[in-house]
Amino acid sequence: MNLSFLPSPPFELSYPLLFGALLVAGMLGGELARVARLPRILGYVLVGFLIGPLVQAAHLRPLIEEARIFVDLALGLVLFDLGRRLDVRWMRRDWTLPVTGLAESLLSFFAVFGVLVALDFRPVQAGLAAALAMTASPAVLLLVVHDTRAEGQVTERALNLVALNGLLASILTTIMLGSAHYEARMEMETAVLHPLYLFLGSLALGGTMALLARFIARTVEKDREVHFSLIAGLVVAAVGLASLLKLPVILALLAFGLFARNDQRGYDLLNVNLAPVGRLLYIVLFVITGASLPLGLLAESLGVALAIVGARAVGKAAGVFAVAPLGGLRVQQSGGLALALMPMSSLPLLMLHDIVRVFPQFGQALTAAFLSAVVLMEIAGPLAVQYGLRIAGESLPQLDATFVGIRPFKARA
Amino acid sequence: MPLEFTRSEPLTFGVELELMVLNTHDYNLTRGAADLLPRLAKLKLPGEVKPEITESMIEINSPVNRRYDEMLAQLVTVRDAIVKHGDRLNLAVAGGGSHPFHRWHERRIYPTERFKRVSSLYGYLAKQFTVFGQHIHVGVENGDDAVYLTHRLAPYIPHFIALSASSPFYQGEDTSFETSRLHAISAFPLSGHMPDVGTWEEFNVFFDEMLDYGIVGSMKDFYWDIRPKPEYGTIEIRICDTPLTVERAAQLAAYAQTLVSWLLRERRTEPVAPLYRVYGYNRFQATRFGFLATVIDPYTRTQTRLREDIIGALERIAPAAEVLGTTEALRALERVAEDMANDSLWLRQQYQETRSLNDVVRLQSELWRA
Repeated sequence: MNLSFLPSPPFELSYPLLFGALLVAGMLGGELARVARLPRILGYVLVGFLIGPLVQAAHLRPLIEEARIFVDLALGLVLFDLGRRLDVRWMRRDWTLPVTGLAESLLSFFAVFGVLVALDFRPVQAGLAAALAMTASPAVLLLVVHDTRAEGQVTERALNLVALNGLLASILTTIMLGSAHYEARMEMETAVLHPLYLFLGSLALGGTMALLARFIARTVEKDREVHFSLIAGLVVAAVGLASLLKLPVILALLAFGLFARNDQRGYDLLNVNLAPVGRLLYIVLFVITGASLPLGLLAESLGVALAIVGARAVGKAAGVFAVAPLGGLRVQQSGGLALALMPMSSLPLLMLHDIVRVFPQFGQALTAAFLSAVVLMEIAGPLAVQYGLRIAGESLPQLDATFVGIRPFKARA
Repeated sequence: MPLEFTRSEPLTFGVELELMVLNTHDYNLTRGAADLLPRLAKLKLPGEVKPEITESMIEINSPVNRRYDEMLAQLVTVRDAIVKHGDRLNLAVAGGGSHPFHRWHERRIYPTERFKRVSSLYGYLAKQFTVFGQHIHVGVENGDDAVYLTHRLAPYIPHFIALSASSPFYQGEDTSFETSRLHAISAFPLSGHMPDVGTWEEFNVFFDEMLDYGIVGSMKDFYWDIRPKPEYGTIEIRICDTPLTVERAAQLAAYAQTLVSWLLRERRTEPVAPLYRVYGYNRFQATRFGFLATVIDPYTRTQTRLREDIIGALERIAPAAEVLGTTEALRALERVAEDMANDSLWLRQQYQETRSLNDVVRLQSELWRA
């Protein structure tokens, strides 16, 4: 009897199976977290932490690495969304908003830089790490905002600040990459040209995609579903183009979002809500992030990690409290805003990969410490955002008073 | 204890305007009242800006005025302040009787005691009540005049509906009505009109009875189209959608003031009951068809097109307008009636052009800025 129609080892895991399994596992983790009144993201990440060792044991590591495509897509979507929220006109009308952004970015940069130099790291390394630490996590913020249905000044300002510090950080790291090149004794041209290519190339790609989006939007019907497909398609394509052209996905998609924003230039593109497709990708994003974080490093570099996390938190809080109240934010609102900036972006992970690739001297010790800091904030960050939006009064209260029935008036005796 | 009717100077008037607070990325309603109001409270503005039942709503209360031009100037001042401080918070503000595409379940109740109670009593109706109206107060000397005017203004309710209509879209749809806002109000058990009482004393008997049943706690619990407001010493017309501009709001108030002046001189004596037999029909016609509605005069038993009915009334009261200084305002309203060009038409035209309700609301908020 010929049984060759039956599957036989070695079995190969396929993308659909991987994606589906991570999605369902993550979703279950998220719901568990929600029942415990914790942010869903925490559930996704913890599932990732559990999956990590399993993956290692089953020698599936490369597959997780290859799943980078999902991560890139998710991040592309996050950054596009964030770019759309970056409101330059608002920043012109309320100077405290961009100044808060500058203050919290620079103060957290110098705090982390100072601490690392004091811990005897070389200035170039410390500078790179400090620039990476400037970013706050847009994905965590967007997801917690969505889950708690938060709305208001703190939410809007936090989203703009996250976009701003992401932009600043990517400019700064690109410049530092230049000096890292220089220190690595590469020719001067590469040291200048590479960062310049990354920066201008991303802007050009983002701008082109936005133009294309507007052009197509004008030729099709102005319908929500049509525009949804258009934008989702172009975002995915832009992610692919960015990696084809060796450009940072982060900057390119941020630029795409920013240029696609509706303003004086026109209102051809509907402001479609990308959350439905975003949710699927975000779950997988956080599970993979959790799975790929080296928990083992935590033990050996906890001290430095805590120093980074602490200095960063102090810097961000100081920046927010120094400027935001001038814009009329109350104490709880400023506190909420500072907390919303706490999650560390997993974007540095990607940048770190790139940096370590071109510049191995970045240092084992610092990489380990930095990754440990990310691990810590992957847990503390979502909690901070959830708490921050609650004390600012912006998340939807768990129990709405609306449907608690009471009899309104007592008849007079 | 009978309700005291506070005397006030006849023909003084004021308006309340409910406005929407919007975000500037997709122009949905957003919770902004709690951030906007404290800033406005620090300014010296004519009148007041107050919270309303949901956090995406604010209300302008004008001071008490004698003259139309003064009221308009005050409204412009308040509007400009709201626009300026909204800009700092990245909030847009707009007129209009309903938000074209918001989902009622997303609204949040502004946490004051009264609003919490209203919301626990009415459940989803309270959130669905996220509609935006203009209330016009006109001062009267005593309760009897208030009762008289409440009845005699009833035939003019369709006029105010057609002239103020600015809510053709609701929950993302063109409702085919000129105003969809009034449906949200009709759902409340105490909506409609005042019963057929002849004097303030008779009104008090009715009110005491309702109080004894435990159906109401105060006058505020009646959601009538027109009601006496004893604590202010006014009658209050509550039928209008909030117009898209403060200019139109002031014109509507001027129309009410002039009508009251005219009615007080005319002292109509026909029986009241027939007014209410045609009331529901006329009201529906106006909400559905606007200026093309057919309205019935119960005394002559004739049917007229609302457009002509309005133009006729405006011409009848023109002499009273001369005295009050409202001629210019009434001329503007006459042009609206002649062209049948109310705010609902404008909104539908914007939708025709942009094919997007988000854009309609954006244009609406730009029109409000003037």
